[in-house]
Amino acid sequence: MGGREAQKADTRARVLAAARDLFEEVGYDETTVRAIARRAGVSVGSVFTGFSCKADVLGQVMAERLAELYAEIERVAPHLRGSTADRCRSLFALFYAFELRRLRLFLAFLASAFDWRAGGAGSGFGANKRLRAMVRGCLADGIARGEVRADADLDLIIDVLVAAYAWNYRTAAGDDGDVARLTALMDRQIGLVFEGLGPRA
Amino acid sequence: MNQIAIGGLRSVAQVRRPTRRALAKQRTREKIAAAARTLFTERGYDGATIRDIATAAGMSTGAVFANFTDKSDLFAEIVVAERQALVQVMGDAAAAKPPLEAIQAMFEAAAERHLGDLALFRATMSAIWSTGLGELVRNRFARAAVGDVLGPCLRAGVDCGLLRGSTDLTLVADMLWDCYVSAIRRAALEGAGGEAVKRRLRDEIQIVLAGARQAQGQLSGP
Repeated sequence: MGGREAQKADTRARVLAAARDLFEEVGYDETTVRAIARRAGVSVGSVFTGFSCKADVLGQVMAERLAELYAEIERVAPHLRGSTADRCRSLFALFYAFELRRLRLFLAFLASAFDWRAGGAGSGFGANKRLRAMVRGCLADGIARGEVRADADLDLIIDVLVAAYAWNYRTAAGDDGDVARLTALMDRQIGLVFEGLGPRA
Repeated sequence: MNQIAIGGLRSVAQVRRPTRRALAKQRTREKIAAAARTLFTERGYDGATIRDIATAAGMSTGAVFANFTDKSDLFAEIVVAERQALVQVMGDAAAAKPPLEAIQAMFEAAAERHLGDLALFRATMSAIWSTGLGELVRNRFARAAVGDVLGPCLRAGVDCGLLRGSTDLTLVADMLWDCYVSAIRRAALEGAGGEAVKRRLRDEIQIVLAGARQAQGQLSGP
């Protein structure tokens, strides 16, 4: 990499790290681009070279975190045991445990998911293909094992589960996020959905 | 006039004035709320200022603060009033329908309403995640809970043997609302047509309700 490329990459990494920390420490709305630049030790101008706006920074901070999340899931996936419902529960428990480490950051991400104004981030929440594929794999295995009926619409089920997963976070905003509580709630929601997924008598 | 006569007149006036004053105060509140609703809708919570709201209402900022604690109080009131209207619409849609059809009808009516006016919904759903404002809004929503119209339908579903008696109906109601919020969000983001959205929403609602359905073999009766 040429010197300029290396510098751009370095600036980008510093901005993302600074933003990630500030969004978590003081909140997304409260964080200014100037504050990010200061924390990163770069100029405001160079922030805008790499990112179109603050929302774009948030989007890319979240994208960077994905690599870590995928790695965790990959570690756990071969060891998932039990019924399809239980495997599903384990996956979502993993998502909660991961995101609750930086709860305010994730809440900002969820809020941005509702920012569908022109120019708003309109985040890809719920659309991540790889994460959806993991849940889908779990459900598909369920069909193979006869625990989920063959004609089940898997994408629809994923949408229902993801909706519940996301909406549960609203209760986390107040109490700094209790992984156990959110996971327990999701467990019950998964249980409810799976009650209706079994092979028809 | 002597003191007693003046005192007498004043006490008569005091019996009448609170009613007029209360009415005037109510009118002021409504004017402010209407202006706030427009500005919050156009600019979102952060974009709307008390000064702009006051100007739009033809009031002073002092008048705004006399009626509302602060911007978050004002926003919460707007949002709850909107929710009350929504719950009313949903309740009306459920009327005279069998339980599970009623639930579908409620969400279809809600979708009609929201898809026609997404901006305030967007501002509300955006704000709901924040610690301070979100908690305030969520607490106020207790006054106009969607569960209040869903609950009776779900209970009716249990009563007529369609849903299992052991089902946690609050869990079901919350999940139905989760699906709804998510569906409207997707609709707004993708600019999806109303019919496609409603169809998908129906299907998601079916999935949640299927989880609570009484297995066919367990139905009593002929």
